[in-house]
Amino acid sequence: MATIDLIDLKKNYGNVPAVKGVNLKVADGELIVLVGPSGCGKSTLLRMVAGLETVTSGRIEIGGKDVVRAEPAERDIAMVFQNYALYPHMSVRGNLEYGLKNRGTPRGEIDRRVQDAADILEIGPLLDRKPRQLSGGQRQRVAMGRAIVREPAAFLFDEPLSNLDAKLRVQMRVEIRRLQRRLKTTSLYVTHDQLEAMTLADRLVVMNGGLVEQIGTPTEVYDRPATLFVAGFIGSPPMNLIPAASLSAGENAGTLRLGAETDIVGLRPDQLYIARPEGDVLTLAGTVELLEPVGGESHLHVQINGTEQPIILTVQGRPKLAEGDTITVYARPEDIHPFNQQTGRRTDAN
Amino acid sequence: MQTKRTIFPNKLLPYALLAPQLAVTLIFFIWPAAQAVKSSFEREDPFGFRTTFIWFENYTRLFSEPGYLNSLTKTAIFAVSVTLLSMSLSLLLAVAVNRVLKSNRAYTTLLVWPYAVAPVVVGILWWFMFNPTIGIAPYMLRGLGIDWNHRVDGNQAMILVVIAASWKQISYNFLFFVAGLQSVPQSLNEAAAIDGAGPFKRFWTIVFPLLSPTTFFLLIVNINYAMFDTFGLIDATTNGGPNQATNILVYKVYADGFLGLNIGSSAAQSVVLMLIVIALTAIQFRYIERRVQY
Amino acid sequence: MVENRPWLSLLTHLVLIVGVVVVVFPVYLAFIASTHGSGDFMRGLVPLLPGPHMLENYGRMLTQGISTAGAPPVSIMLMNSTIIAIVIAVGKIAISLLSAYAIVFFKFPFRLLAFWTIFITLMLPVEVRIIPTFAVVANLGLLNSYVGLTLPLIASATATFLFRQFFLTVPDELMEAARVDGAGPMKFFRDILLPLSRTNIAALFVILFIYGWVQYLWPLLVTTDSRYYTVVMGIKRLAATADSEPLWNLVMASVILAMLPPVLVVIFMQRLFVKGLVDTEK
Repeated sequence: MATIDLIDLKKNYGNVPAVKGVNLKVADGELIVLVGPSGCGKSTLLRMVAGLETVTSGRIEIGGKDVVRAEPAERDIAMVFQNYALYPHMSVRGNLEYGLKNRGTPRGEIDRRVQDAADILEIGPLLDRKPRQLSGGQRQRVAMGRAIVREPAAFLFDEPLSNLDAKLRVQMRVEIRRLQRRLKTTSLYVTHDQLEAMTLADRLVVMNGGLVEQIGTPTEVYDRPATLFVAGFIGSPPMNLIPAASLSAGENAGTLRLGAETDIVGLRPDQLYIARPEGDVLTLAGTVELLEPVGGESHLHVQINGTEQPIILTVQGRPKLAEGDTITVYARPEDIHPFNQQTGRRTDAN
Repeated sequence: MQTKRTIFPNKLLPYALLAPQLAVTLIFFIWPAAQAVKSSFEREDPFGFRTTFIWFENYTRLFSEPGYLNSLTKTAIFAVSVTLLSMSLSLLLAVAVNRVLKSNRAYTTLLVWPYAVAPVVVGILWWFMFNPTIGIAPYMLRGLGIDWNHRVDGNQAMILVVIAASWKQISYNFLFFVAGLQSVPQSLNEAAAIDGAGPFKRFWTIVFPLLSPTTFFLLIVNINYAMFDTFGLIDATTNGGPNQATNILVYKVYADGFLGLNIGSSAAQSVVLMLIVIALTAIQFRYIERRVQY
Repeated sequence: MVENRPWLSLLTHLVLIVGVVVVVFPVYLAFIASTHGSGDFMRGLVPLLPGPHMLENYGRMLTQGISTAGAPPVSIMLMNSTIIAIVIAVGKIAISLLSAYAIVFFKFPFRLLAFWTIFITLMLPVEVRIIPTFAVVANLGLLNSYVGLTLPLIASATATFLFRQFFLTVPDELMEAARVDGAGPMKFFRDILLPLSRTNIAALFVILFIYGWVQYLWPLLVTTDSRYYTVVMGIKRLAATADSEPLWNLVMASVILAMLPPVLVVIFMQRLFVKGLVDTEK
């Protein structure tokens, strides 16, 4: 059990900055998800915490102790890798025991911990198999088991689910969540999948270009994205970002009060309507470009007059619309997220 | 040059790990080679007391010496003949093995073991077969009206060493041709068959061109083999004779240096050989660099 | 097979059978010769069927040898060859594993220089630097010793490259996981890397054992004491005497004995042998 503090952490590869100064306080027992596109520095950050990557400047404290110069083994962390990194020539039991043996843990204690981990993860019957005899999901469990037996101060997960197929990924996601709640071990979890991030995290850290864009709970980040990048990254289909001018020109635009610096506005696909909702509304005129039925709902692509990018709406059921139909789209003023293109930030931030 | 994404931070350990290899390399490879280069520019007086620096005199003398020029020619003839003979036989056998499905393992086993026979032993085997007094080959050749005596006839001696050297190298070429053939996609062959090409046409228009990386690689390896790995074979069959007819470069450098004790000339010969190996290795690695990118 | 043409299949097998005969015949002849009495060659033609003296000939070569040839009994030379081939193979593998490990898993000043120094050995076969290498070994007092027979042949660029190539394919995460698990560099090498390299080591051992066994020029240079003769070089001395004395049966018996160990290794470890051969040339 421990906190993790990152203080102005930076990493350069030669002259190329990968992490440009990150500050983060992880509370004891918290599950923090680092999310962002590939190359945003999230993995580098995690690997610096693990001690697998040297730190250019800044501090890392685990449990209040500065560990920047410590070997990975001295940091009391355990890591789950994307490709699991199970030792192929050792049995499952051998894999679980290896780290404990290296630490000189007594035999009885090793057996107890391996048994506990095997029970928790239900891999007891697999203990004498070799990794190549296991399915992807089983390997994933063993990799988790190797972390659990160590009873470390923190778990570090590096995209642990990205090698699994979609169905198994959802199942393992739930399991990791449950396990982490049960063990209450401080965890850092890296993923590029925003849905995985939203469902797992106590708090999200959205990263882009080596910098933190926003830190917050999943709902905070979804409801009030702090930057244009976060707005476009979190949520699927992503938030529509359209020039403020095309809104102001619409009918009833008088009810809209945007600050002078707002030149771009965001609207979530599920907060746009084809039937007029009650209260004040804004209208956008356009033509239907494509209707994608995705089961219970449909994604409607509409080309708004005077803009270049089509916007996407989520509509219930399968509306009777065809390509080329002209259509009016409604939005509520309170659902609008105002941004400034130049700074990339929200303009109604407090 | 490539390393791992993360590396161990130890400062001294890598040097300790490299020490044995580097020590052996420096003491038994680099230092002697440097000595050879040095002596090739020097003349030693008959008692070995004094050495004089004489620039390229050893080289100019070497290249004006008929014996050395003869050796160069013989080496070229030998290397080219061995390469062509061995590679064509191996390709034929490899293609044949690639066609049979059931018994190919048995055939392969029967064809590859000569790799493990030492060149000297190969020499003795063929020397025995071609022994003018008791050998079976001269006996049969006499029936055809050919009088075989490689101890007298230089051309026959060359034929003997070419056959023996090729025989040993068949197994090696065969294995690489088989590997090359197996990497030719079967779908191409089938497509060509549908296009109406018969088996021979398919081989020359589809398979052989796709095999060219293997062929080129083996070409270099075989030349290298014929030039440098056949010392024992020559020593066991002809001793470079008769009348220097099979005195290839590696044999001559040994004979001149070790038996004739002509240090300067032998060193110059060594340096020439080094340049040849360096050229061959460079060609081979250029080609491998390219292959890696496929 | 794309189509079925009986005459082509027949031709294929014919080619293979002729090939096998050509490959096997010289050795068959040697074997036949080794089973006859010494007088059987006087009539001027080698017999083509086995004779009755096999055990006698082999027994004599193994225990006594040919006294006039100046070579010890074949059994002693076989023993020397075995020792030398194993020491060379193990030595090459050991020092190559270590250097490849250093080059792949560490970064240090002069890493590239070390790599190229090892690379250069490819371009310096013993044949091109005979005299100075002999001088070094003589100066070190290593003539007529197992050390002198093996140590100078132990450097290996090929083996180093092979292991380097293999190490580069070992996933980075494996080493990272081991570090998180508290393994230092030597522990990782012993616990993870060596077990993973098993197949490569075995394949390489087959190739290098043969390499060591067939060495001729080097043993010829550094041994004058017949106690250190290897069978491959000893045989040359036996053959030289056979020209004056009709002892073909005995010479061929030792030829067969000299071939047997490495040939058996190739036949019984064919899979490893092929892997080793193909891998070392990559």
